[in-house]
Amino acid sequence: MDVVQKEHSRLLKRTEASQGIKNVQSAVDSLQAARDAIAADPSAASATLASLQNSVKSSFDSINDSLKETHSGLNKYTKSLDKLFKDRPLPSTDDDGLSSHESLINRAIAMHLLREGQFAVAATFLSEIAEQKTIYPVTQNGCGPSNTSASLLDIDEVPSTEIRKQFASMYYILQQLQENQNLLPAIEWSRENREALEARGSNLEFELCRLQYVWLYHGGANNQGTASGWLAALEYARQEFHVFVPRYLREVQQLVGAMAYSPNLGGSPYAALFNNTSAWDDVAHFFTREFCSLLGLSADSPLYIAATAGAIALPTLLKLQTIMRSKRTEWTSENELPVEIPLPPQYLFHSIFVCPVSKEQATDENPPMMMPCGHVIAQESLKRLGKGNRFKCPYCPSESHPKDARKVFL
Amino acid sequence: MAAELTSTKLNPESHIILDQPLLRLPHELARRNFKTVQRAVEREKEYIIPAIKETAAASLSNTQTPDQTLAALDAMISRMQGLKRKMESLQEEEKKIHNQSRKRIQHLETLHKIPSLADVKYDQWSRVRLDRLLVDHMLRSGYSESAKQLAQDRGVEELVDLGVFTQCQRVVDSLRRGETKEALQWCGENKAALKKSQHNLEFELRLQQYIEMVRTQDKSKKIEAIIHAKKYLIPNHQSQNSEIMRAAGLLVFTQDTRAEPYKSLFALDRWRVLAQLFIQTHHELLSLPSQPLLHIALSAGLSALKTPLCHSAYTSSSSNSQSTSTSVCPICSTELNELARKMPYAHHSKSYVESDPIVLPNGRVYGKQRLMEISRKMGSVGPGKVKDPTTGEVFHESEMKKVYIM
Repeated sequence: MDVVQKEHSRLLKRTEASQGIKNVQSAVDSLQAARDAIAADPSAASATLASLQNSVKSSFDSINDSLKETHSGLNKYTKSLDKLFKDRPLPSTDDDGLSSHESLINRAIAMHLLREGQFAVAATFLSEIAEQKTIYPVTQNGCGPSNTSASLLDIDEVPSTEIRKQFASMYYILQQLQENQNLLPAIEWSRENREALEARGSNLEFELCRLQYVWLYHGGANNQGTASGWLAALEYARQEFHVFVPRYLREVQQLVGAMAYSPNLGGSPYAALFNNTSAWDDVAHFFTREFCSLLGLSADSPLYIAATAGAIALPTLLKLQTIMRSKRTEWTSENELPVEIPLPPQYLFHSIFVCPVSKEQATDENPPMMMPCGHVIAQESLKRLGKGNRFKCPYCPSESHPKDARKVFL
Repeated sequence: MAAELTSTKLNPESHIILDQPLLRLPHELARRNFKTVQRAVEREKEYIIPAIKETAAASLSNTQTPDQTLAALDAMISRMQGLKRKMESLQEEEKKIHNQSRKRIQHLETLHKIPSLADVKYDQWSRVRLDRLLVDHMLRSGYSESAKQLAQDRGVEELVDLGVFTQCQRVVDSLRRGETKEALQWCGENKAALKKSQHNLEFELRLQQYIEMVRTQDKSKKIEAIIHAKKYLIPNHQSQNSEIMRAAGLLVFTQDTRAEPYKSLFALDRWRVLAQLFIQTHHELLSLPSQPLLHIALSAGLSALKTPLCHSAYTSSSSNSQSTSTSVCPICSTELNELARKMPYAHHSKSYVESDPIVLPNGRVYGKQRLMEISRKMGSVGPGKVKDPTTGEVFHESEMKKVYIM
């Protein structure tokens, strides 16, 4: 990378110092001078023209010299680029399994734009897709079979209407929350979805109300002294907190109890509750996650995570491709990658079960089974070990019958 | 292979595989620009030097009046001034390209200052990359307006190639409308580079023009077609002989013929094929990958993230949308789920489960700590009880059983 940068800045300098145009100008100048001389004194024409020949020629020579220099600079830069990307060609798969799913990708992009809050771009994008569909109905995807385009159209409609509305309201709430410290839209949303949130075990509504209470205590919108804030907070507690008492008795007691210390809350055991600097960010993040989860979506953009994971995985996959090509081997297990690709820990979402006996990952067809002793192996291994009779667990001395083993869900 | 399960190591040199076109494309443009300058200079040189010589000779032998000499000189001056103007505009272009390259190199350079994949800065960098990939995909699919808007919104205009792709798209659109003019003009501009190309785009375009003339079934048009073929098709007889024969045969058919290969020559679908061929040739010339980079990144990423659980018939205990303590896996999320269905899943050689796993009587495995915490938060279960966050069933704490996963 350093080499590339160095070569490029050299190239840039050379371009800026280029004499090409100056030399053209000097050729023009000598032509002009000759013309003037001949116009003034036609008898000296042949002598003037002879000397003109030389000077124009030398101008062209120096133009070519400067061009040559630029050329060598370009070539050096080419070489440095080649070196940087040597052994790292882009994967040359003819069929990446994605090109035929153009509309699925477009849908994912539209959703990504919506969840990033880029509504204007998303609107343009969707209208351009629709436009192209009407102009070239058959030619959508490369070798497009025309029968799929009709059904895929329906999928495309999904993000354009319902989801778009949802994300628009999400962004409105988030904006109010982050920019104006206005929790009311968020609280309202969490009330509307109270049942769904409760089923998830989410305490979003309480968190929001608690922050509202703290915010009121600190003076609310006008941010003045704590005397009026104290009253407003208590009033709020009286109105709202009774709903939470059955579930969050302790927390509510803390919040209200803290009032006894006012105005010297900072020195009280409750100080941390009231002076949490990251509270607003935490709540915003929490809200986004809950909102997306209720829609069955992950909190972070899947497209972002997948593309990043892809960039991390690519070097390994490319190396593999090269090795396989040089050894002329083929990977036989088609539905599993042949190498392990280490990703950062936040990219692990599911638990993974690899059978300690067969070293295979559990699937729906080959699920993890727990023996009475509590050890887990894959179903196929269980069958192979037990052969229908009692057998000893491969990890502890206890014996059991295969039919005593139970399927577990990770 | 005992690779570790997770890693946050960042190797900037190998991490920029996807970013090759980022530097290659402007460089290719710079080279093209340079060649144009070179050609212009060469052309003027070949005109001016002999012209001066001629004028000098003429004036020496007195076959020319002084006025004629002056006129010749004036012509030379105006040509040289033309060259100067041309070079000036090309130099402006060159500077623009170089500045763009510089910004791109700087962008890649910042990656070297990021210590690990877990760093916040990497997150930002990667988001810029995603924006770039999205713009690239949009441009390639012909959604130029969206691409422009996105690039402006995110401030990545210097890192994407709006101009190149918009130009390409214009030609593609014209081909799809059934016009060859712009494509042929492009061929003219890139004549030298096209000689190395394995696709004979220009021949195919000329052939299409010929087909359109024959299609009319108008007598004078057909004669025109034959003249056209003599001029543009026959010179290629060494490489494209069979096509030329077929084209000749076409003269006796009408466009509703069912005889192959004439039927497919008349097919309107040929315009789409031409557009495809143009894109292919165009990308090849500028060393652009034939696929959108987003596809390459996604197909690798989907596999790296996918687990057998992502398309399982059973809800996963460790990542689902029913509980607030887990985040939804991106592959399970609606956006990508269908797309990932045919992808292979990631390889793992070790199990990875929450710490201190227990199993409930319904067979669901959870980390003990997490389960207790969720149950406490859900509130609606009494003391000593736990609630399965996936199914909603309530069990007594004593029913939790330790499970050993190796």
